[in-house]
Order: sequence, then C-alpha cells, then structure tokens
Amino acid sequence: MEPSNGLAAGSLAFKDVTVQYNSAKERVSQDGEIQDINMRKEIQFKASHVLLMGFFLWIFLLHAIGIYFFTKGFLLTRLVLDRKSECAARPTELGNSTPATFADGCWHPKTFDKAVIIIIDALRYDFTVPFSGEPHHFHNALTVLDETARQTPENAFLLPFIADPPTTTLQRLKGLTTGTLPTFIDAGSNFAGTAIEEDNLVAQLRHAGKTLVHLGDDTWHSLFPGYFDADLTHAYDSFNVWDLYTVDNGVTEHLLPLLKPVNASKWDVIFGHYLGVDHAGHRYGPDHATTNAKLREMDNVLREVIAMLDKNTLLVVMGDHGMDVKGDHGGESDDEIEAALWMFSKKGIFGRGHNGFIAPPATAKERPVSQIDLVPTLSLLLGMPIPFNNLGAPIAEAFVGSGEPDWQNLASVNALAAAQISKYQKEYCLARGLDDSVFSLPQAFLKSGFQYWQDGVQSNEGSGLFASAYESFSRYQEETLQICRSLWARFDIPSMLQGIAILSCALAVLGSYARSRSMDAELVPVYLAQMTIYAVISTASFAIVTFGIFGNGIIDAALLGFATGGIFGFTYASVNIPQSFALPFPRSFWGWLAVVLTLSQSIGFASNSYTIWEDEILLCFLSTFASVAFISSMRQEFFVERVLGMFQAGIFLVLNRFASLSRLCREEQMPYCRSTYYASSTSSTSAPWQLLIPIVLATLLPAIIKTYYQGTRSYQGAATLWIGFAARLGLLASAVYWVLDAADDNDWIAKKGVLQTSKVVLARLLLGVALVVGTTTFVWSNPCISIEVTPGLDASADREVTPKPKSVKVFGYANVHGTRYFLLVINWLMALVLLQKPMGAGAIGILTIQILALLEIIDTNNLSQSAIGPVILGLLGSFHFFKTGHQATLSSIQWESAFIALKTIRYPWSPLLVVLNTYGAQILTTVAVPLIALWKQPPKKPRLLGDVAKALATLLLYYATINLATTMWAGWLRRHLMLYRIFSPRFMTGAVVLLVVDLIGISVSIGSLRWNFASIAEVFGWN
Amino acid sequence: MAETTTEAKPRKLLPISQPISVLPTDVARIYTHIHPILILSLYYLCFPSLVADPVTTLKQALAPLAHLQITYCVVCLPPSKGSSTSPSTSSATPKKKKVTFAKPIAKPPASLKSRIIPAVFSLFLSLSLSAPLLTVILILFGAPLTTHFWHNLLCATHISLLGVLPLFYVHGVDARMWREISGACLPFDEVWGGLVGSILGAWLGAVPIPLDWDREWQKWPVTIVTGAYIGWFVFRYAGGYLLRGKRIEFD
Repeated sequence: MEPSNGLAAGSLAFKDVTVQYNSAKERVSQDGEIQDINMRKEIQFKASHVLLMGFFLWIFLLHAIGIYFFTKGFLLTRLVLDRKSECAARPTELGNSTPATFADGCWHPKTFDKAVIIIIDALRYDFTVPFSGEPHHFHNALTVLDETARQTPENAFLLPFIADPPTTTLQRLKGLTTGTLPTFIDAGSNFAGTAIEEDNLVAQLRHAGKTLVHLGDDTWHSLFPGYFDADLTHAYDSFNVWDLYTVDNGVTEHLLPLLKPVNASKWDVIFGHYLGVDHAGHRYGPDHATTNAKLREMDNVLREVIAMLDKNTLLVVMGDHGMDVKGDHGGESDDEIEAALWMFSKKGIFGRGHNGFIAPPATAKERPVSQIDLVPTLSLLLGMPIPFNNLGAPIAEAFVGSGEPDWQNLASVNALAAAQISKYQKEYCLARGLDDSVFSLPQAFLKSGFQYWQDGVQSNEGSGLFASAYESFSRYQEETLQICRSLWARFDIPSMLQGIAILSCALAVLGSYARSRSMDAELVPVYLAQMTIYAVISTASFAIVTFGIFGNGIIDAALLGFATGGIFGFTYASVNIPQSFALPFPRSFWGWLAVVLTLSQSIGFASNSYTIWEDEILLCFLSTFASVAFISSMRQEFFVERVLGMFQAGIFLVLNRFASLSRLCREEQMPYCRSTYYASSTSSTSAPWQLLIPIVLATLLPAIIKTYYQGTRSYQGAATLWIGFAARLGLLASAVYWVLDAADDNDWIAKKGVLQTSKVVLARLLLGVALVVGTTTFVWSNPCISIEVTPGLDASADREVTPKPKSVKVFGYANVHGTRYFLLVINWLMALVLLQKPMGAGAIGILTIQILALLEIIDTNNLSQSAIGPVILGLLGSFHFFKTGHQATLSSIQWESAFIALKTIRYPWSPLLVVLNTYGAQILTTVAVPLIALWKQPPKKPRLLGDVAKALATLLLYYATINLATTMWAGWLRRHLMLYRIFSPRFMTGAVVLLVVDLIGISVSIGSLRWNFASIAEVFGWN
Repeated sequence: MAETTTEAKPRKLLPISQPISVLPTDVARIYTHIHPILILSLYYLCFPSLVADPVTTLKQALAPLAHLQITYCVVCLPPSKGSSTSPSTSSATPKKKKVTFAKPIAKPPASLKSRIIPAVFSLFLSLSLSAPLLTVILILFGAPLTTHFWHNLLCATHISLLGVLPLFYVHGVDARMWREISGACLPFDEVWGGLVGSILGAWLGAVPIPLDWDREWQKWPVTIVTGAYIGWFVFRYAGGYLLRGKRIEFD
C-alpha cells in the first residue's frame, strides 16, 4: 500500500489545530480587532444571503408568470351562453299545434310525473353485468340492474354510459345536468365547486315548479344552491374518502321513507348521490372485499327502491364515471369513462325495437350512450324543455316503445333535440363571431331529416321514412358534437407563446447564473438593482399602456411588464459586468453528461412512448451515471479514495435497481408492467408484508447514515442525538402509524374510533416534531464536531497564566458544513417517510442513502463544482417520484394522503399534505442540494455561499428545462390524440414540480444556510 | 501535515498501456478487414430468426461467433505476454514504470499453438467472467429481473465474446492492466474500440424499445444486440484509425 494512504485517511478524522489555537489565543489577548473583522464579515454574509433569497424569489416569480401565461392560453375555454329554453317555444313544431304546457309535457308528451335519480359514484359498467370467468371482487355483486333489464326488457334497460373527461364528480355533474361538454379549466375547481349558470335540467325542473329533493354528496349544493327543498334535503361532505358509510347510510335512511305512498305528494324529483363505492375504490381499489360489500349494499337498496316504486315514477341509476384498476379517476382511460346507466319503470314503455338486442351489452364497448344523452332523455320523459346548451340525443331505448318499434316517436324526439342543437349552434356562432359554414356538413343531415319526416307524415306507411328521419337526426347530432368538440379545443396561441418566451428567458437567466464561470454570488446585488429598476419601470409602463389603450387585462399586462423588465435588467447587468461574460457551456465530460442526460430526457417528452416510460428511462440514466462514476473512481491513484468511490458508486447502482422494483404502472404501460406499489394491481392498500418496510427502515437507515458521519469522525454532538435517537424514533413512529392504518383498513381491531384518533394524533405529533421542533433545533444546533484538548505538561506548575495545551484536535473537521446541514435533511426525511405509503417509505429511504452515496462520489471525484451533482439529484428526484407510487397522471394522485394527519378536509393543510406526498422525492432532493457544495468542504472555504447558490440554481435549471420542454411539447402537440392522456398531465406535473422546488429551494435550501454558516462561524470564525 | 493531502485534488492513475497493433503479417492485415465483414454478415443472416426467436438464435450463433473471434485473435492480434512476463506492478511507483504491455510494433508470432491456447483461454474467461458480469450490468440498467433470464445472459455473452474476448487475448489477466481497463483509460485501438463500441451501441440500442411502433424487432433484446454489433463495427474502425491512441478523459 502507498504510504500516503494512511495520511489521507488520518486527515479525514481530525485536524490538529494546536498551532493556530495557540497563536490565536495570543492575538485575542492582544487586541479585539479580530472580533471587529468577524462582525463585519457576518453582516456581509447576512446581506448577501438575503439578496440571494431575493434573486431566487425573482426566478420563482418568472417561472410562475410564465406558467400562468401558458396555462391561460392552453387550457380550453368554452363560451357559456346564458339563454334558457322556454316551455312554450318548441324549437320545431313538426305539425304539432297543441299548446305546450308543463302539465302535458312541454315539447313532447310527458311519460312520467316523477323521477328518482340515483347516482352511484364511480359505478363502472363491468360492475353491473354478469361475469362468467374467474370473478374479481367487483364482479357479480350488483346484479339487480342486469337481472331486470334481461327479464323485463319493457321495464328496464342497462347501457354503458360514457363520460366525457375529466372524470371528476363536479365536471360530470355539470355534464349530466347541462348536456354539454366540460372544458379543462373547470377541472381545477373540484375542491371548491361553483354554481352552474348555464341552462340545465335541475333549473328547468325548478322553474316548472317541481319540488326537488337532494340526498348525499354535497357537491350538488355548490352547483345548485337553493334549488332543493330545504326540509327534505340532506347533504353530506363529499371528500371524506376514508368514510365509506356516513353518506350512503344517510341517503338510504332518507330515501326509503320518501318512497312510501304517504309521502308521495311531498316531492317530484329526488336526486340521490351515493359515494360509498367511489370511496371504497379510492381507499382499497375495486378488487377488494369492501368494494364487493359496498356493491351488494347498493344491490339491496335498489331492490327495496324498486319494490316501493309506483307506476308514475321513473327510476334512473347511473355512475357519473368509472374507476381505474386502483379505484381512482379523473383522467380519460377507458376504465375511468365507462360508467353504467340503468332506467326502470313499472309502466313498461321501454323497448329495444330499433336494434333488437334484449340483453345488456356484455362490455362497455357495445352500444354505449354518451352521458350528455341523459339530459334530453330525462327532459322529454318528464315533459321539460331540453336545456338550451344541450348537445346530446335522446336515448332510443326510452322512446322506441315496448312493442313494434315506434319510429315516429323516436324520430320526433330526435327532431326536437336536433332542432334545439341547431338553435344553440346558430346562437353560438353569433356570439363567438363564427361563420355558419363551420356547421354546413351536419346541416345537410338536419335538412334531410326533416324531409324524411315530411314524407313520412304524408305517406300512410311512413315507418321506414321515420326510421330514416331518425337516422338523419342522429347523424346531425353526432356530427355537430364532433365539430363542437374541436371548436372548444381552441387555444390562445399568443398567450401560450408569451408563457413559453418568459420560461425560456428564465431558463437562460438561470443557466447563465448557474453555469457561467464569470457569474458569481457577489454579483447578485448588481443584478437585483438593475432588475428591480427595469421591472418597476416596465411594469408601470405596460400597465398604463394596456389600461389606457385597451382598457382591460391590466394585471396580465403588469405581469408581462414585470417579467420582461426584469429579464432586460438582468441582461443589461450581465453585459456591463467587468469580467468578460462566458457562455455557460460544459467544459468536461461530466458537464456534458449532465447536459446530455437533461436534454435527451427533455427531447423524449415529445414522444408519448418516452413520456409513458419515463421511470425506466430515468433508471437507465441513473445507472449510466453510477457506472461512469464507478469507472472514474477506478482511476483514483490512492487505494482509499478508489475503494470509497467504487463502493459508493456500486451502492448507488444496486440501490437504484432495487428501488426500481417499486412500481405503479400507468394504464398505457400495460401489459409490459406489473404494479408492486400496492397489495395488488387492483387495490390501493399495502400488502401486510409491506408494513415491514418502514420497520426495517427505522432499524437500518439511522445506522447507515451514521456510517457516513463516522468516516470523518463527525458522529459527534448533535448528530448522536439526531441520528441515533430522533431519526430512529421518528422512523419507528411512522412504522407504527402504518401498522395502525393497516389495522384500521383490515378491521384487525374492533375499536375503530380509538384507532383513528390515535393514528391522527401520532401523525400530527410526528410532523410537528420533524418540521417545527426539528427546524428550531436545527437553528440552534452546534456543528457535529468535538474538540479534544490535551493539557500541557506544565499545567499544574503555574496557575496564573493559562497553560498552552500540548495539542488541540478537532474531530469531524473535514465535513463540518455537510454533517450539520444533513441534520435538516433528516428532519424532512422523517416527515416525508410518514406521508408515503410503506412502499414509498422504502423508496424515500433508498433515496436518502443514494443522496449520501452521491455526495461521496462527488467528493472523491472532485466534482463539487460540476453540474453533474445537482442534475443527478434532479434525476433522482424525478425517479423516486415514480418509485413513491406516482405517475404523471391525475388519477395517480394519492388524495387519501390528505387524511394522514387530518380527519376532515382543512385548508390549507389538506392540499399541503397531498403536495408533500406527491412531490416528496423532489422535495427531499431539493432540501439536500446544498450538500453538493458543502459536503467535506473546509469550514472557511471562500465563496462557499456562492457555490451553494450555484448548485441550487443548477438543480432548478434541470427542473426548469424539463418544465420548458413539457410545456413546449404540450403546446406543439395540442391537436395530438394523446394530449389529455399524456402530454397535458406531464406538463402540469412539470409545472407544479418546478414551482414546488423553487419554493422549497428558497425557503429551505437557501434559507437555512444562514444558521448553518452562523453556527460554524461561531466556532471557526467568519470567512 | 495533513493539510496538503486533504485539499489537493485527488491524484489520478497514470495509464501506461499502449495501443495494440495488428500482427505484421500479410494474412493478419487482410483478415483484420475480412473479419468484421464476416461477423456482420453472420449477424445479418441471423437477424430474421433473431427477431422470431431470440433465445434459440442467440444460442446457435454463439459457436460461430466464438470461432470467428478466436480465429481473428489467432490470426491478427499479438497474444498477451502472460502474467508471468508482466513486470512488478507495484502501483506505489507508477510514474517510474516504463513498461509496455503490448509493444507498438509486435514481433512476428511464434508458433500457432502458443497463440491458440491463450485464445481458448480468453474464450473461457469471457464466458465465465465477463458474461455473468455483463448480465448483472444489463439487469442493473433495467433489464427484466425475474423473467427473460436466458435473453439477458445470451445478450451479455454476445457482447462479451464480441468486445471482451480479444481484450483478454491481448492483455491477459494482469491486475494492473485490468485496473486500467476498468478505469476505461486504455488508448483507442481496434480491440479497445470494439469493446467501447459494443457497450455504447448496446446502450443506444435501448432507445427504440419504448416506442409504440409495435414492431417485432423492438422486443428484448434484439435492439441491444443489434446496437452492440453495429457499435462494435463502427468503433473498431474508429478506434483503429480515427481515434487511435487517444484516451477517454473525464475531467
């Protein structure tokens, strides 16, 4: 072995500062000048620290403004027309001159006086039809619908009921009552629904003087405030997904008495909304005994309702959307949009004459009807006018008659619907300033439909002609719907381009700050001054110009002015700095590797395949880095460094592949992917064995972290308490939490209330300790060093003069900054582990070890200044986002994590918990990014603060590049078939990640440095 | 005393390896160009059945590939001097070493037997050492872990025979030499270029797999093997001529 090996190893353990100590002691006694210098340096540090935070805040604002402008133009908008349909004004007379009244039915003779409309949230079509293969839990549980439709086809029919995405309840209720298409912008308002202004079925019923009763999901009340009879209506909180029983029991309890003959006169239409099936899906997934029990419960309730129903009442049962294999919904996968619709009446008027099929379709792919078709169907059956904005067609089964097909009736209801659509379409063109010719193709169908109708009326044997008329009207409706769909996919291109331009400029600013050699933290004041001046001037001028000339959009103009002014100021300042400006191009293999990995991932987002398989691509990229690091470590001359580097690279590589075993597949990955995150691919609870993961984590992780401290003899002082005690206890507490949770899920313990309370208390306690107490302690903590003073031999001889010690050794000197800062990472680790499912806790644990291994790799290969460190951290964050059971889809958001520390929805805590759950991996890597610059750096290294700022800026640069790429691709591919399935969710994920990472970067990564540096300066003096 | 060592840049291994030259015989100079054509033709002929049935095809192609590679080694390449001739590899004094492992101008080969035995030995090593190692690396990069075992192993064996076998033949099993090889600090030549190319090609071969083109050839591990063969071919020439003598630098 090399003789120098011993030296290299020994130097890590401690630093002998006897000489400095002694000389400093002499100087201190001589003058107080050192204190003055220190004081000045401290003020200097604090000032530049505040300015740095200001700089990153400005970057955050740029990102937010850019995303705002793009989103404004990208998310679809539809002009809402306020016109309402009138009972007296039929859209077409069809030779019918009887006056239109509510009593007989406005536009069409009514069939029913009363209706019971039951929504079973997330009732997927395959829950309702018999299944002959090996059944899942959700099969063959709710059988009454199929049974009645099969046995008494004149009394009932069952059809697949296709929802228009987004498949969130609020959006669906809008569609189910207005008969029009949702637009994406509404999707965000699910947490706070707002009243429907458009013409809709509920408003029409109310206008006709009907008494409406609502039971169940309270979303209805935010949509239709004041429409329902206050005495009979009972609403329940809709977002409490952990509660499977309160809503359903409440609905049943109030519904059944109303159906008794004595109460028949009290109401006209009942809307009942059951949530149990949906909540069971969210919580356990469809293939779980609870879902089965829930469906059976629904079956029983429906049988009771059927028994109590009178002849004049229509019973409608439907799902507002389906659920994916895990029981979640929101997106547009087949499982999510395929709901079921069942109508029942004892009048016996339903028929199948138009197509001859008696039995319900075996799958949702056959004979589906659209959810908007419910609106004209119900309107005409109940004798209401069709709501003005409706685009649906009457469902044939309800009008074709039970005997021979009544083509005339079918044609007449379709004529009414088509004529109303035509009226709406003309009005829309007028309001939007569109040319009528857009709709010229379907107009021809409408015309020929009326022609057939006329011929049919004149001839005696008109049946065939009426059938043709029906065909034509249907075609007209379908074609118009198609055109409306594409029309409402209207993008505001200028606004999107503004957003992209701002994001690109922000990227350039970040890039030049992070990677250009000539940029420095010390220049931040110059930038900030210029940026502020220009931003203020241009904000004001833009605002005044827009306000003066156009009179609107003053806020948008001010934001645009702020962004452009700031960017101009930054450019101006960069050009004018004394050093020559160096372009931020990579200068080494490592730099190029960072660029190539980031760019190839960004380019990949242009393809749906690479977006779908992002998790596997990240695995390959990270393995590539680890392999290169392994090779690079082989090149070390000295044995210790070589082995350390190789060992850490090996750990990184193996853990990476190990973590990749935790998968949650998105629908598009099937059949090449097997989900392991939950107990099974159709569940959203953990398997019992997975509960061991947090326990193993609590046992092993602190010990592993300890070894990284021991390498530099830094397992001293605060570290022993933090790692040896707090982390162990914290991780153990979250293990206990998840055991309690499983006990609650699987009914291991009878006392549910006690269990839930203790769960929530434990979670709150742990979060409080990790984030509040932890941060406070971090602020006051001492560095992880110990100082060993060996007294001089002559100590006892002379007590007057303090004797010179023989030696002063500082243990843990080699990694003062890193070991102290890592304590903050441990705080966040504890909080984030709790908020992940057991499998996700394992992923976060592996991520922590990978971060430590990365730090050692960075140190042994001398890469702390390279872009590769922060970029690999970014890749790790993205990778473990997938490994903690997430995907870039709406349906993979683990909403139930809002209830980890809360019993009901509370703002702002519930959304915050969901954010911490969803972006846990990215947050942890962002918190850890200063370590790239701090790990194993000497305490008084010059410009260390600037190095940290550059590392953070590089990490933000990675996320900003990904965000810009996904934004541009989403904008470019806005007509792509897969836009809403793949590109749009990925864009939204990227945007939210960027903003979250920006905020965490400012508040935690940069913010906490103040105390880290201060605490170290207290011992070693300011630099 | 410790200050200088902690704050100085970590010292890097100084590579002492030299690029390999083809044996100075006419047969060697000619065959070194025929060999890659033979290999690629073999691959081209196998491709349709490779797509149809990867495992069987890869298995059947092993013997011809091994034969071709051994022939290439025996005919064209200078065999390693063996570990006995390797100098005292005291890495404590790397700078003083002036030893070359494979001299730029190799002597004409001795007996055929003294070349065949190391070639067979290299085959044995590349099958028993590097093939399992490459299988593990494939899995670490995301190859299926629980299924496709034979696919992975055979894919790794092909890369191993293609890239590593000649390396064993020319560099033997000397520890110092293999440290340089694992540090990727060999100078480019035909042999080293072949290994770098086959690994780079295999890496790039993963690129088309996720695409939703629904082609048969996208299945595992067809593209990886294809990438390895093409990469080997390209870098074998690039290493032999264009990049000859250059080394991969990280910093």
